Amino acid sequence: MRVSPLTPETFADNARAALADATLTGALRRATDTFAERRAAAIGAVPDWQELRTRAAAIKAHTLARLDAYLEEFTANATKAGATVHWARDAAEACAIVRDLAQARGSKRLVKSKSMATEEIHLNAALAQDGREPVETDLGEWIIQLAGETPSHIIVPAIHKTKEQIGALFVDKLGIPPSSDPQLLAAEARTRLRAHFAAADLGISGVNFGVAETGTILVLENEGNARMTTTLPAVHVAVMGIEKVIPRFGDLETFLRLLPRSGTGQHLTTYQSMLTGPDPMGQGPRELHIVLLDNGRSRIVADELMRQTLACIRCGACLNACPVYQSIGGHAYGSVYPGPIGAILTPQLQGLHSAGTLPFASSLCGACKDVCPVKIDIPSLLLELRRRAVAGEQVPAAPSRGAAPTTSKPARRKPLEALGWRVWSWVTRSPARFRLATAFARLGQKLPFAMRLFGPMRAWQSSREAPKLAARPFRDRWRGDAR
Amino acid sequence: MNARAAILGAVRDGLRGASVPPLPPPVEPPAPLAVAERIARFTAVQQKLGGVVEAVADRRAACARVGLLLAQKGAAVVAASDAPLLAGLGDYVPADVALLPPDAPRERLLQADIGVTGAQWGIAETGTLVLASADERHRLASLLPALHVVVLPVRALLGTLGEAFAALQRDGAPAARTITFVSGPSRTADIELTLVVGVHGPKALHVLLVRDDG
Repeated sequence: MRVSPLTPETFADNARAALADATLTGALRRATDTFAERRAAAIGAVPDWQELRTRAAAIKAHTLARLDAYLEEFTANATKAGATVHWARDAAEACAIVRDLAQARGSKRLVKSKSMATEEIHLNAALAQDGREPVETDLGEWIIQLAGETPSHIIVPAIHKTKEQIGALFVDKLGIPPSSDPQLLAAEARTRLRAHFAAADLGISGVNFGVAETGTILVLENEGNARMTTTLPAVHVAVMGIEKVIPRFGDLETFLRLLPRSGTGQHLTTYQSMLTGPDPMGQGPRELHIVLLDNGRSRIVADELMRQTLACIRCGACLNACPVYQSIGGHAYGSVYPGPIGAILTPQLQGLHSAGTLPFASSLCGACKDVCPVKIDIPSLLLELRRRAVAGEQVPAAPSRGAAPTTSKPARRKPLEALGWRVWSWVTRSPARFRLATAFARLGQKLPFAMRLFGPMRAWQSSREAPKLAARPFRDRWRGDAR
Repeated sequence: MNARAAILGAVRDGLRGASVPPLPPPVEPPAPLAVAERIARFTAVQQKLGGVVEAVADRRAACARVGLLLAQKGAAVVAASDAPLLAGLGDYVPADVALLPPDAPRERLLQADIGVTGAQWGIAETGTLVLASADERHRLASLLPALHVVVLPVRALLGTLGEAFAALQRDGAPAARTITFVSGPSRTADIELTLVVGVHGPKALHVLLVRDDG
């Protein structure tokens, strides 16, 4: 259906196309409603939910303010446990590290479990160029890999697809008899991916949390594919954003109470793998490589207000709660991270010049802030990014090393718009002028054609009703009643 | 400048003069639950997750029950870990069933119908089995077969997640290089959020709570 990849720059068009797709909007509505119900039920059973959120936010705020020290502690302890820690300034460097590891070991058959960081750096495409494209093993990720698409949700990558569409895809790509039974489709995935797991020589995963105190990485999942990926191949490569580090092993408890409940409404996902160095004696891989990824994060750390963006634990709750995401889904954002978190994270990772539209994709209703398990003040950050986008300010982001610092386009306000605001300001500064203007407007709105406004206002009206003035102003009624 | 120095330098420069909010103190583990309460909760949560929990008297009864399960399920190949509780399992395995030790070839282990392992701890609150690799080689037997049978001493059943994290740290380090939490059979809801039990990991989980593991 899509011919070119969507980008944030074409957000308005992407959104309109999504809204016109009844299958998509129906699937999204069902899914986000279900998620919201499950989450509400799960957190309703936790008496100290708010204290947990406060605690998690405090742990993250502390850690990010001392991130350099915690990264060094994490690296020292992971290394001591036998892991090899690599550092990547940007996507290209991270992909090159993984590619070189695979090349040096002659690894040809790669498997991968779900990871947003590897989506962010487009690792699959980079490895495919080298003839080593990993097989995605999470069911949702496998589906979209078969379809040649990208994830539209952080937790449920194929949320935009109906079971009928997935059934048709399996008929097309796997040659199986038609079925839209999730049970049968999942069984097919189990059978097919078994063969890949059995033959795999290198496994790639993400990291949900890295513990500074012990050098442990934690990977959380439901399907068992991440356990397969981090157990069966001889080499395990874990890609971890530098913001994923937390101070203490015991802090995992706090985050494990918050993340599954916020994400899927489970009290715990089926599996958590806590890996401290390689574990050949325990039947695991011979080598564990951890790739610490910056890719714009160190610049976000430097911005005191925006720093909290990095507290995100990728639960997806803000997507499910967002009326914009609920209506258009993830692809319209044209970014790996969609929804409210994507609207603040993407412009900071990519720069406002290319993703400056995203902070405007919000009604600022605040639902995202209410559900965020680490209390990120997303609406305030959206407003600040809007301000910076309009003012043409630089955001703390550089797309790649060596590139000149980028700024968003300076003030887009046109002369006519500026004149309009000046007139508005002049009219509203004087009660007499305001009365006169509203009297004219009341007369004017009686004319049938008058409400179809002109020029820029017409665009504003394409999705909104202009407010109607009351036949008798409140001011007059107040005076009348007081008499 | 290498990447490590560049990233750490950028972070350090960016944080120069930043105020550091305090790290909250560790959570105090709650008062332990009575053993009957732990068993009841663990059983209830496991059932909700699609697991089966059964009580057995001692290690011999546990092995006998496993042997019976193998016969009932018609297993051909069984992967067992080297858990001390399972030391006598061989005596109870039906004659036509191949019993694979943890160091059996990977190709053979991939063919196992049933995996039998111990667990180092259980967590009642979340219906979780904690597999720590230091004392038992159970990573493959607990993962590859469609049915995972676990023997867990009642003595090792903890009340809460907090108790588990306290137990899991020895002298600051984690209790094992690989610690796996298992709460029920594998599952997915990736297709229209419809729950499907049994994806890549085991499709079923059977827990035998051993009262007397001496």
